Amino acid sequence: MTNRPGMNDVRTLSVSAAAVYLVLTFAMCVFPGFALSATKPGPGVQPLDAAEARGRDVYVAEGCSYCHTQQVRPLQQDHVWGRPSTRGDYAYNTPELLGTERTGPDLSNVAARQPSDVWQYIHLYQPRSVVSASIMPAYPWLFTVKDHAAPGDTVVNVPPGFAPAGKVVVATAKAHDLVAYLLSLKQAPLPQGSPAP
Amino acid sequence: MSPSPAAQASVTGDGDAYDARLLSAFTICATIWLLITTAAGLLISFKYSYPDLMTNPLLSFGRLRAIHTNGTFYGWASIALVGLALWVAARSSGVNIQARKTAWWSLILFNVSTIAGTVLLDDGVSNGSQEYREWIWPVRVLFLIAALLSAQVVNRTVSARRGHDIYISNWYIIGGFIFTAILIVSSLIPVYQTGLGQVAVQGFYMHNAVGMWFTFLALGITYYVLPKSLNRPIYSYALGVLGFWTNLIFYPTIGAHHYEFSPLPWWFQSLAIVFSVGMLVPVWAGSGNFFLTMRGRWSIVRRSYALPFVVVAIAYYFLGSTEGTFEALRSLQAIWHLTNFTVGHSHATMYGFITFLAWGGIYALVPRATGKEPNRIAVGIHFWFALIGVTGYVLVLSAAGTAQGLTWAAGDPFIASVEAAQPYWLGRAVSGTLMFLAHIVFAYNVWRMTLAPARAPQREVAVGVPA
Repeated sequence: MTNRPGMNDVRTLSVSAAAVYLVLTFAMCVFPGFALSATKPGPGVQPLDAAEARGRDVYVAEGCSYCHTQQVRPLQQDHVWGRPSTRGDYAYNTPELLGTERTGPDLSNVAARQPSDVWQYIHLYQPRSVVSASIMPAYPWLFTVKDHAAPGDTVVNVPPGFAPAGKVVVATAKAHDLVAYLLSLKQAPLPQGSPAP
Repeated sequence: MSPSPAAQASVTGDGDAYDARLLSAFTICATIWLLITTAAGLLISFKYSYPDLMTNPLLSFGRLRAIHTNGTFYGWASIALVGLALWVAARSSGVNIQARKTAWWSLILFNVSTIAGTVLLDDGVSNGSQEYREWIWPVRVLFLIAALLSAQVVNRTVSARRGHDIYISNWYIIGGFIFTAILIVSSLIPVYQTGLGQVAVQGFYMHNAVGMWFTFLALGITYYVLPKSLNRPIYSYALGVLGFWTNLIFYPTIGAHHYEFSPLPWWFQSLAIVFSVGMLVPVWAGSGNFFLTMRGRWSIVRRSYALPFVVVAIAYYFLGSTEGTFEALRSLQAIWHLTNFTVGHSHATMYGFITFLAWGGIYALVPRATGKEPNRIAVGIHFWFALIGVTGYVLVLSAAGTAQGLTWAAGDPFIASVEAAQPYWLGRAVSGTLMFLAHIVFAYNVWRMTLAPARAPQREVAVGVPA
């Protein structure tokens, strides 16, 4: 195809549009990605242990982060969730779970607010048994219902009216892992005198 | 300039009927995905008001939400717009669709990737709750191959065109395929996606998937459907070119506005806000160009069953995108960010703009291709249910988001934001029901336009370059 100068040639149009977009992709995606991936963990920020990492996989599989953020903004209304998040908080946070909706509470520091694993198990089995206005889904498939608990079982004492009558509710391995992950979500204190993020 | 040998070869024989079968197949597949994925959306909208409704892992909120968003993106909107784009590329070039076998393989792979992504998400296999790229990487690679195959069809078709100029529609369509291929590749490479690095990539990806794929394809289709249906040229070719380049330059820069007040660098967020204001240029250039093309021809719009959908799409393009600019300002994000307001905005754009445009394109072009008309009363029901549904949806979610944001700002206990939004969530479920009913009526019309036996005497299939 000769005789087709400028943007009236498919190849010229494609190459010039692609070149512009590639430059912008490097500037706004690849370069910031590399720069931010190199962020060092903040003081006191620890990687997850094996059970907590498996728990994060459960968190991802069940889509928890569609309703729960893990980012505390430097805004007055976010003080209730902890100190403003810093870049160093996320060094081990892959996949990232910052979230874009807060239909439920922020979980950056949930282990400090709800440190009880007993509460966490009951709440996962049936959120409305502890918070009546909650709209969080119940996750009964993370539990098994038995006639009698076996030695070593984690029995969940679900409040009356929410438990199956005459049976016991026992946490599965997935529930153990998920609660281990939730109880790992605790903001490391910033060093004394460090500047606000 | 004489047509290339390939074009000469395929305009003879069964070319038009073959193109019609391709367009019909894309439209039917897209419609099936629309029904499946909006049924998922409808069910989870009721779960806001009735959280213990259908408690089952396969029907749980966290899994169906990703199935709804990815399925509407890649199953419905992508397949519908690509089918229309192939047809537009051919008709605006005065030839038949080239590389037909490649087009069929593309359709097959679009469907295989959407089936695989949907089934895996329902089983809890997810890339990590990163919106619109929850499908794991092998599935996204399949989708990429499908898009590249269709890109090859467009490339071959436009290269075989009669005449010198590449029509403006094909600028947008070719651009959409190229940008999307680059975008998907950039989102697949893991080496710069650790921790916050992944957040930067996610902000880029989620916004560009909307702006460089759906917006480009939809605008390209509009630049063909509107002049063709009105039988007059587009108001300004130059405005179309301006829109192309400004969309290309401003859109990729604004993704970080999804992470305002996050630990992403403050300058990075500020840059996104500045360019979000810049987006007014392509949005107003594009929508202004379309409305000026329609001026004085409103009687044709009223008589047409396709054009009202296009008019709604352009109006929502203008309103939704302008809303997006203001939403990006920090003073407003402080209240609206992380609330349902964002979900309302995404339905204004992906449904009010993209989905209505796909419907307008289908009603305008499929009857021309197959010679079979939809039922006009059914089109009317489809139009009004969908329009009232989405408008109600956007309004109640904007109100819900505002209520959530204000209770947070007032320092109320968190559960107060759930209680404040509760009445609006019921309104969302009712609006969603109207939208879903519209989809069923639309599916009936798709059947009437494609697989149903022909009723009235077939009208001449219109072929040729756009007005």
